[in-house]
Amino acid sequence: MHIPDGFLPATVCAAGYVAAVPVTWYSLRKINQRQNPREDIPKASVLTAAFFVVSWIHIPVPPASVHLVLNGLLGAVLGYFAFPAILIGLFFQAVMFQHGGLTTLGVNALLMGLPAFLSYYIFRIRNVLRKDSKVMTGIFGFLAGFVGLGVSVALFVVILLNFIPADFDIATERTAIYTLALAHLPLMVIEGVFTALVTVFLQRVRPKLLDSV
Amino acid sequence: MKLGIDEYAHLGSPLHRWDSRFKFIGLMALIFAFSFVQDLRMLPAVVVVTCTIYIISGLPGSFMMTRLRYPSFFLLVVVLLLPFLSGHTIVMSIGPLDLRQEGLVAVLLIATRFLSILTIGLVLFGTAPFLTTIKAMRALGLPAILTDMAFLSFRYLGEIGGDLQRMETSMRLRGFHERRFSRHGFAILAWLGGSILVRSYERSEWVYKAMIMRGYGQATRPRDEFHASSYDITVLCVALVLASGFVAGDMLLGHG
Repeated sequence: MHIPDGFLPATVCAAGYVAAVPVTWYSLRKINQRQNPREDIPKASVLTAAFFVVSWIHIPVPPASVHLVLNGLLGAVLGYFAFPAILIGLFFQAVMFQHGGLTTLGVNALLMGLPAFLSYYIFRIRNVLRKDSKVMTGIFGFLAGFVGLGVSVALFVVILLNFIPADFDIATERTAIYTLALAHLPLMVIEGVFTALVTVFLQRVRPKLLDSV
Repeated sequence: MKLGIDEYAHLGSPLHRWDSRFKFIGLMALIFAFSFVQDLRMLPAVVVVTCTIYIISGLPGSFMMTRLRYPSFFLLVVVLLLPFLSGHTIVMSIGPLDLRQEGLVAVLLIATRFLSILTIGLVLFGTAPFLTTIKAMRALGLPAILTDMAFLSFRYLGEIGGDLQRMETSMRLRGFHERRFSRHGFAILAWLGGSILVRSYERSEWVYKAMIMRGYGQATRPRDEFHASSYDITVLCVALVLASGFVAGDMLLGHG
């Protein structure tokens, strides 16, 4: 679900970078305000690599299999580190696997990172209610995963249909939007359930991890 | 686990010898100039410059071909869909499908830009050790938190990837069928993901302690690792002139 190089005009790519700068600055500022940011950086970095690896797990959806985006889970676990983590993850994907792009890095970071922030705030509601309840963790884990991917898909469709150098008529655009939305709905449910299962697993095995960074 | 983007970083081409900071600026300027191109008449020049740079880099053709395997899927989707969905001027009809001129133009533009940017990206990151390129980005002003995170993530990516491979192998040896969908199987995959996170978190605590032992966080005098020569500056000027040429050419031809 990343936009590759060459699909967007240079102005949109540059705007993506310009818009990603204040979001990155805000994340880094929040990280620097923490009690011990130096301790959190190695943890967040190793977890960034771990999230990247977890997204390689094939989830069988017959007749094919899918990879998860995990931006909701990233937001829920990494909090303000989620945006830099996504930026680095996307950079690695573009450089090592030619997935996504170097010119579209800013746009893709916003597509995935802004919903990750939203997922973080959604997951934090659990702290206000009953933090130790597995049901609450499951519910808010599901919402974080579902909403994280859902908002990313919405942003992806809006950007692609508005800025790709092609001339679609209104009927084609509408069909494309409905098709993409319908195609992603089961994936949003899968992403939500996966996030719920992982967060409940983490709460059972290593609850500290959910509040660590 | 081998990630291998810089497996040919040891070669001695003129692009390998180019200072990584200058190379990053020059080739990124060229990449953005390519994405600026909207006029079809500029595409032959884009292809010629891309091929010339790749040949000068001395990177083998097989390196390019293996790297194209994954992104070619996206290209295929665009080539198959856009000519039939985009535009109004019908060039040809194939059964119930109409091939449209605007769609064909869009495919040509997107495919050429995509392949050229990808090729220059491979030259940028394939002609120097990956960590040297990250250091160059740090020297160019990338925030320390981002470079620290990039260094550490890159350091542990291979190891954690190896963990996943080993865990998946042991699951298969115990009879787990990952190709068959079931609720229980899905839960097992989620626990596999959770286990990777828990192992990595535990590893990160050791990593932090080891880093503290080695003086992480202490003020150190920055080492000046990069030394620019007149050669580096000349090559940068050539790259910037080329990039400006593409932008100016596209604007003169009526776009931009």
